[in-house]
Amino acid sequence: MLSREEWLPLARKLDWNYSYVREDEVFPEVISGRPWLPHSEWKDWEESFKTSYREYVDNQYEKDMAVYAVRDAVGRLENVQKLAAPWMNSLKVHAAALPLAEFTGVIGNLRGARFGRDSAWRTMATFGALDEYRHTQIPLLLFHQLVRWDPQFDWAHKFYHTNNWFAVAARHFFDELTLGQNAIEFHIATNFVLETGFTNLQFVGLASLARESSDHMFERMVTSIQTDEARHAQIGHPVLEVVMKHDPEYAQYLVDKWFWRNWRLFSILTGLSIDYLTALDQRPYSFKEFMEEWIIDQFLRTLDEFGLKRPWYWDMVMDELDIYHHMIYASAYSYRATLWFNFVIPSPAERKWLRQKYPKYWDDMDAVWEQVSERWRTVGPGPANELAVHGTVLPTFCDLCQLPLSAGTPRKNTARTLVHDGRKYIFCSQPCQWIFLQEPERYANHQDLVKRVLSGEAPADLAKLLTEYFRLTPDTWGKDVHSGNYDWLGTRKDSAA
Amino acid sequence: MAIPLYGFMEGDTVGLLILAEDGDTVQTLARKLQDAASLRVADRTEVRVVYNDKALDPVLTISQSGLKALDRFDVIWG
Repeated sequence: MLSREEWLPLARKLDWNYSYVREDEVFPEVISGRPWLPHSEWKDWEESFKTSYREYVDNQYEKDMAVYAVRDAVGRLENVQKLAAPWMNSLKVHAAALPLAEFTGVIGNLRGARFGRDSAWRTMATFGALDEYRHTQIPLLLFHQLVRWDPQFDWAHKFYHTNNWFAVAARHFFDELTLGQNAIEFHIATNFVLETGFTNLQFVGLASLARESSDHMFERMVTSIQTDEARHAQIGHPVLEVVMKHDPEYAQYLVDKWFWRNWRLFSILTGLSIDYLTALDQRPYSFKEFMEEWIIDQFLRTLDEFGLKRPWYWDMVMDELDIYHHMIYASAYSYRATLWFNFVIPSPAERKWLRQKYPKYWDDMDAVWEQVSERWRTVGPGPANELAVHGTVLPTFCDLCQLPLSAGTPRKNTARTLVHDGRKYIFCSQPCQWIFLQEPERYANHQDLVKRVLSGEAPADLAKLLTEYFRLTPDTWGKDVHSGNYDWLGTRKDSAA
Repeated sequence: MAIPLYGFMEGDTVGLLILAEDGDTVQTLARKLQDAASLRVADRTEVRVVYNDKALDPVLTISQSGLKALDRFDVIWG
């Protein structure tokens, strides 16, 4: 019997020369990716984990048991019910955005498991697919127990099956990243950019926030997922190395494109959680501080290691760090019934903290919150007045990222229009337009929400849009956590008594 | 006929879909956007409508202004 050290290389590195078919028929460029190179250029592909299937199963079993133990100890409904209301809504955001996105990662990894260009790559991608399946099952399992208590948690499973505007944006991202992608672009975009560049936002930043918020179940879940991510993220580096060697311009393009696309989505997912949906005394840092320490510095070092340049729009990202997620949060608050979780207005103490952390543009954001507050003062608090403190006309969306046209600053929105092949498009920013123009055939026929309404596919009436197209109900659509009943706002009903 | 336009109000956090009528004046268009953004942006009496980097005469109708479906316009202060 072979020893582990003898057996493993044989099992992991099992390639051969084809005699009945051509190599480019086994690995067509359209699905394996470009640059198409003979296997001789990929044969030195290697990663550092070198795991066998048996070892993988043993490790994963132990990790699952640890998650279940924490669930049994501190993850019961009565534990979750003790969490602060804003954090609970952060939980709902991630409960919806995470599980089925991870499932699309199963598909992407399986494509790598079949069409990756070296056997060690394919072996690792097989484990990656199993990882992502685990990352689908665990949150679905943990959040399911909460559905009977709070129907907004039903969106953990429902979200990606709806045409909710944020689901449309998230699907547009993950459809391209994982479901419809060739193996090379998938592994560079997912493993290198997302999992190496942005995963710390989710799995270090969120774990830290969960700990501060006493949500030990969520902390354990994301930490457990992170141990898998750290392993299969290794696929991206050796793939990128080979692409850099043969087509550095293309490698740079993939990094530029996917850093921007990731930035758009994750600045919302994590920015809102850190700066708005975590209690002030439980925020260990601002979103910007976390990005600078854990994402920006590390990503730039990694780019240097590969000989890659900073993306051409880098200064725009640095500027958006101060404002983009604030623009999105204020917009989403005023259209909260279009989403499946609840919101809070930042209190004076929180606004003071935000001003300290984001001095560059906060004056303009503060004016927005003062105006929203004034509306609550005028109409008075209470669930019956929710829609009197709500947007009335349709907000607008980017034809690339499908997110609201909320880029730039309150003084100058950076949205830009384009006529392409006789059709009009609008983009939230220059990088989104640039991505569109690199591969217009890929994006041109996707209709954003406004064009769906104008074409009659989606109802123009807001109530029908919410219930028939977004599949929300009065029970599940987003509200102000306190129904405008804030001490500091002078609207609190019981404070006058 | 209603003309859908992308409206951006200075001071606001999101662009809004504004339905203008052919016969609406530019001044009416500005009022429609101000009303639609009023939850987030305080009303101002002095505003201008900007289209293709030029301020539009407030008495022009939409059809005279050159604005077409899915164009961007801005309402700025002052």
